[in-house]
Amino acid sequence: MSEARAVMLASLSGKKASMHKNRVAEAAVLGSVLFAAAGHLLIKSGLNTLTTASAHAGLAPRLLGYMLHPAVISGLAIYAIGTAMWVFAVSRRDISYLVPFSALNYVVVALGGVWLFRERIPSTRWLGILVVFAGVWLMQRWGSEESR
Amino acid sequence: MNAMAMLWASILLGGIAQILLKRGVTAAQAESGNKPERWWLGLLTSGWIWSWAAAFTAATGLWLLAVSQLSISYAFPLLSAGYVLVAILSRIFLGEKVSWKRWAAIAMICAGVILISRQ
Repeated sequence: MSEARAVMLASLSGKKASMHKNRVAEAAVLGSVLFAAAGHLLIKSGLNTLTTASAHAGLAPRLLGYMLHPAVISGLAIYAIGTAMWVFAVSRRDISYLVPFSALNYVVVALGGVWLFRERIPSTRWLGILVVFAGVWLMQRWGSEESR
Repeated sequence: MNAMAMLWASILLGGIAQILLKRGVTAAQAESGNKPERWWLGLLTSGWIWSWAAAFTAATGLWLLAVSQLSISYAFPLLSAGYVLVAILSRIFLGEKVSWKRWAAIAMICAGVILISRQ
């Protein structure tokens, strides 16, 4: 009887551990999406200030100028953190499961446009955002069975 | 190379890059031996990972070149073809089981991306 209970407990804790593992990978994916979007926005804001200033310089000095801009450097660093989070998630889950989550990037960019630049989102785009969320939810809820 | 060819090459390379990354990570984990928590050190010397970095960089460059000539609202939804491509490639090269539930989720996400890019 106690043996059966031990087996049950072990399987329960095993299940808990794997659920925890799932959530860690998914949190890493969400983090990687947010960091990638933030990195892109920072890089873009840095490039925006530079392209007008150095339009007539040669390619090499222009590239060097881009790479030394503080906003570009911090943008690249944040982007690199996002990439590390992505690699971490890839180490734990199927790639065919994870890659569709990156569509959340478009949602973040669309919402970021509203927040940063007061863009108006047309109703079809709101619908698209909802459909992407529904698809990601569906993937997380029903598509998370691992191949290995 | 015209803009459409660069766009599709970018999507194809981006998909291949994800397969290379997964291969490299799996190999590094398998080879980490008696220090499994340090598996990620193996990434630095992995040919798979360097190929991933090269493919990813090339895909990004091609994407930038393509969208400098195409309208972004046209190019953008085509990126979701990458999800389908990765699912197919992961099945062929990594032996992942892409269930109909996963396909349904991928289809829904693609539909959402297309709606987001509609003007």
